[in-house]
Amino acid sequence: MADWRLAVDIGGTFTDTVLLDADSGRVVVGKELTTPANPLEGVQAAIASVLAMAGVGADEVTAPIVHATTLVTNALVQRRAGRAGLVVTQGFADTLLIRDEHRYDMYDLQIEFPDPPIPRQRILELDERVNARGEVLTAPDAADLDRLAAELAGTGVEAVGVCFVNSYMNGANERAAGEHLAQALGVPVCLSSEVAPQIREYPRMMTTACNAAAMPVLGGYLDDLERWLAEEGFGGSVLMMLSNGGVVAATEAARVPIRLVESGPAAGALAGTWYSQRLGEDRLLCFDMGGTTAKACLIEDFEPALTSSFEIARVYRFKKGSGYPVLVPSVDLVEIGAGGGSLARVDNLGLLRVGPVSAGADPGPASYGRGGTEPAVTDADLLVGYLSAEDFLGGEMPLEVGAARTAAGPLAERLELDIESLASGIVEVVDQNMAASARMHAVERGVDLRGVTLLAFGGAGPVHACRVAELVESSRVVFPVHASVLSAFGTLVTPVRIDLARSLLRPLADLRSDDAEALLESMRSEGRRVLAGAGVPAAEVRFRYGIDVRYRGQGNEITVWLGEGTDWPTGDAETLAAFEAEYKRVYGLTIDDVPAEVVTWRLSAWAPVTGVAPDLGAPAGGEAAPIAHRTVRFGRDREPGEVAIYERAGLPAGTRLEGPVIISEAETTVVIRPGWAVEVNADGSLLAQREEAA
Amino acid sequence: MSSATPGAGAAARRFDGVDLQVLWQSIISTVNEQATALQRSAFSPIVREAGDLANGLFDPRGRMVAQAVTGTPGHINSLAMGVMAVLAEHPAETLSPGDVLITNDPYKTCGQLLDVTVMTPVFRGGRLIAFFCSTIHHSDVGGYGIGAGGRDVFEEGLWIPICKLMVAGERNSDVWNFILSNVRTPDHVAGDLHAQMASAAVGAERLQALCDAWGLDDIDALADEIIERSEEATRASIRTLPAGTHEAEALLDLADGSMVTIHCEVTVDPEQGEILVSYEGSSAASRWGINVVRNYTHAYTTFTVRSMLNPEIPNNHGSLAPIRLAAPEGSIVNATSPQPCTARHVVGMFLPNALLKALAPLKPSQAMAEGSGAVWTMQVSGSHPDGSPFITAMFTYAGGVGGRATKPGLSACSYPTGVAAVPVEVVEASAPIRFLRKELRVGSGGAGRQPGGDGQTIEFLVDTEREWQLNAVTSRLTAAPQGLDGGEPGAAGSFCVNGEPVITQARLSLGPDDVVRLDLPGGGGYGSPAEPGNGDSAS
Repeated sequence: MADWRLAVDIGGTFTDTVLLDADSGRVVVGKELTTPANPLEGVQAAIASVLAMAGVGADEVTAPIVHATTLVTNALVQRRAGRAGLVVTQGFADTLLIRDEHRYDMYDLQIEFPDPPIPRQRILELDERVNARGEVLTAPDAADLDRLAAELAGTGVEAVGVCFVNSYMNGANERAAGEHLAQALGVPVCLSSEVAPQIREYPRMMTTACNAAAMPVLGGYLDDLERWLAEEGFGGSVLMMLSNGGVVAATEAARVPIRLVESGPAAGALAGTWYSQRLGEDRLLCFDMGGTTAKACLIEDFEPALTSSFEIARVYRFKKGSGYPVLVPSVDLVEIGAGGGSLARVDNLGLLRVGPVSAGADPGPASYGRGGTEPAVTDADLLVGYLSAEDFLGGEMPLEVGAARTAAGPLAERLELDIESLASGIVEVVDQNMAASARMHAVERGVDLRGVTLLAFGGAGPVHACRVAELVESSRVVFPVHASVLSAFGTLVTPVRIDLARSLLRPLADLRSDDAEALLESMRSEGRRVLAGAGVPAAEVRFRYGIDVRYRGQGNEITVWLGEGTDWPTGDAETLAAFEAEYKRVYGLTIDDVPAEVVTWRLSAWAPVTGVAPDLGAPAGGEAAPIAHRTVRFGRDREPGEVAIYERAGLPAGTRLEGPVIISEAETTVVIRPGWAVEVNADGSLLAQREEAA
Repeated sequence: MSSATPGAGAAARRFDGVDLQVLWQSIISTVNEQATALQRSAFSPIVREAGDLANGLFDPRGRMVAQAVTGTPGHINSLAMGVMAVLAEHPAETLSPGDVLITNDPYKTCGQLLDVTVMTPVFRGGRLIAFFCSTIHHSDVGGYGIGAGGRDVFEEGLWIPICKLMVAGERNSDVWNFILSNVRTPDHVAGDLHAQMASAAVGAERLQALCDAWGLDDIDALADEIIERSEEATRASIRTLPAGTHEAEALLDLADGSMVTIHCEVTVDPEQGEILVSYEGSSAASRWGINVVRNYTHAYTTFTVRSMLNPEIPNNHGSLAPIRLAAPEGSIVNATSPQPCTARHVVGMFLPNALLKALAPLKPSQAMAEGSGAVWTMQVSGSHPDGSPFITAMFTYAGGVGGRATKPGLSACSYPTGVAAVPVEVVEASAPIRFLRKELRVGSGGAGRQPGGDGQTIEFLVDTEREWQLNAVTSRLTAAPQGLDGGEPGAAGSFCVNGEPVITQARLSLGPDDVVRLDLPGGGGYGSPAEPGNGDSAS
């Protein structure tokens, strides 16, 4: 009996659909161009095509439809978000313009900041105040609220955000104002104490403003989508993928759309999670290198690393601080480079640099023959022999070796190197850059990358993965089958989940109090409510508890997860031990004599997904035989040599090949360096292992 | 420049543009990672919130080879000069594995007692090959604490002479006892000293691994290559400038009415590829703790010149060498013992106002009008109803930045540092302070083709029944930030309690009903307001 599950992912370029029969494991994939003006059109086309391919009727899809989308981010980045207003505490109307007063680049005299998502003229002040202990000093006045409502109505707002000072301690004033304004205006209203109840007014206000501006966009889209699905006869409800990798009901997503800000990338990271479980790898670094970006995401203990804040709409892509900070639990996916299109140059110190300038998709690398004149990483990959000129993208797009050589010529001359040595240099520099960025990111998280297994995907990821692995002192790389399909799978194998965070200062030594109990109970009931919306009965909801702790006097907290339970899972001594163990893991020491305190309480409410076992297609039978040989150079200090080329589709399970060897497939090329060996797993994935420091 | 004595074996090799890039980037990554780890683990609030630290790799001669990109220019470039001074007293050949040096000598290192420098030598094959050094702004060193009120350096806090914190891997317990007995928060100071040593140890491990991978016995040849190339590139960029001397002056006034003149003269020597910055004609040292030591003056001077000229060249001994400094001894820009200096940032961060003006004709596209100067710093202390004391961490606020040749000035934004303001909610959570407003001071930026950035207005009080203290350092209260190239001045600042201007630099004692109001200066405008600009209002 077929049990069809449908997933939809609206990306920047393509809208992907995946149809999976949970019963048989059968998988069908659809892909259509995204239609930015009316995203529903692309979704309709992609769903229609996947159903037609599978020969499945809409009424046969009865399980919830899981949906990831970049709609929210794109609307905010491209300034196509809704017309929102913001109501704030008297004296704080300029908070979004003052930001945190930080200068994100000390040396750059020309820095700029993005305009806030809500302009100053639609930010109004209200006479109200709560102090830092959460006591209401001044409650909102109804007449003031009427006046504000009239003023907001005059500006034609489609949604309103409310953000008051210290509302993370007590949201009563925000609730009173919100109810009044919602009633008077008849538009959706969101409160900072619900969107991001955490200390620090600027990021909380920015998160609330972004949320308010996103409400009309996502709300309108979801209404249209659900109407169309009902008309077509689909049986399942819609679940939206959140930035943290959990999914919630569409109505809940529409209430706090900012939680979808990393919805698309989160789906990708879930593929990594799924793979880490499948492989039994408790630590996995997803390494996704494409034409314009290289990204990394760490999976630890079978879960993607999360970050509690995130930055969008950066003025400068690689400069932290140049965008909007939003307090949204997100999969921690970082850009570690500009991908295969990154251009090489010689700087005024006479050094070979690669990136951050990229050839992008147009004109692309010189070897694409579309007018690129500077050497890109892809050109270097071709010149060292990693890529084949004839078989690039399965032969659909032959590369021009001559164009790559011509582009590399001037740099080689400046550095007094031959073209091959320069190409090897470009490859080495870009690999070093990506490894350094990944390591830096790990340091920021307090994680040691050494020994981590890499999961390589994207068009250029498998080309560069073994060298990047060597540089981060790792000795295993996994190359999954059909990475693009896996990414969409992420959405289908993800549990229903919401992560909540609230601030309340408590000494770690005396954690439990009535305040804390009440806080936890309100978080649990919020969790039950959200999951009920996604069809999860209260009895099936599981709670996982975490705390953000610091030594008193410090300004950064570390998150410590303590376990699961319907009630608080640990005793105080156990909690302290868990904090000290985590602190020691991150910083290498503990600090005796300084008391620790909890700043933020975290609750993850989730329900397990019912088991699905997608069938990824078995590897070929028979004997592995090379399809060709070509000359490849694996570094400047090595002589070029003849290397056997295999076709991935022709490799039987259990095949073991010693590096150096190259395995080509339609979407990418797997480069196994000298000193490595690779094996073909039963599910078709490749596992490369470093044998020696070669 | 003479090259270092080549070490044995592979160290004598030369590096091409690919190998050098990889090695150099590895070293820079290492110091950046160490700085990040140090910032994350620091107790000192200003270190972790504002990145008020410096972290670098030095060769055995004390030349800076690589440095982390961190929060404030003052520390960064002061450390570069300070290490040489330490080695003059404790030469490399007197050090053994496991030794760690420490000092906070303000006149030899970073210009205030709170900045403590820790130096760890790295040994390879029994030979000293490098130092990992860090300076961080500690939370306390006893004495007066933060603020400009100390009458001499001895009143400002504990002076740690250059000495060994660790001897052959063992704690030098007399030194530790001395330090920890003289500070108010010994746990935090000890924790931060440990963090400094731990970060150096990890850096040393990474450097050894790099030497292993490349077959290097030492880093002498690498250091030479990095320093020579940086110096050559810096000289080359100076050679593109026209020869000549440009002078400029900027006025800084303080709450007590005292006026500081910063006079600078920038001479470009394209033949030598050198820039000489002279502060001859600047004010004499102040009676307040705002005096700047030579290293710190050097730090802000090189920072300003390099931000206009060649910010892309990494900071090291070579890129700093062609920028020379003349600062009269005993003046406010070259303080000597015992002139007090804890609040030296007020003058140090002001130096770019004069310098940018003198540099404007050399690089017109990078020109920027005067801004509000140093961030204003506040610290509030008092007692709770039960008598227990409270004291906030230092919190800071920025005024407007000057208009730029092609863009408006930034409003309420740090310059020249990258310091972030402590959020209102964080300050309120740490002490019974209540803010009545924190908003832009609209119209305070000077008019111009590109207007100056607006300052901001902040009002706060303390919810208390008792007396409380305010330690505030403010500036530019009468001498407004000047415009450039026809732009109009921004509004001067104002520092009032209950509407009355404060006229002292010393700590204030205030009562339950007192309201403090800060109006931070706006930046000067750029270009005549009559000409149309191409930017919108400053944001």
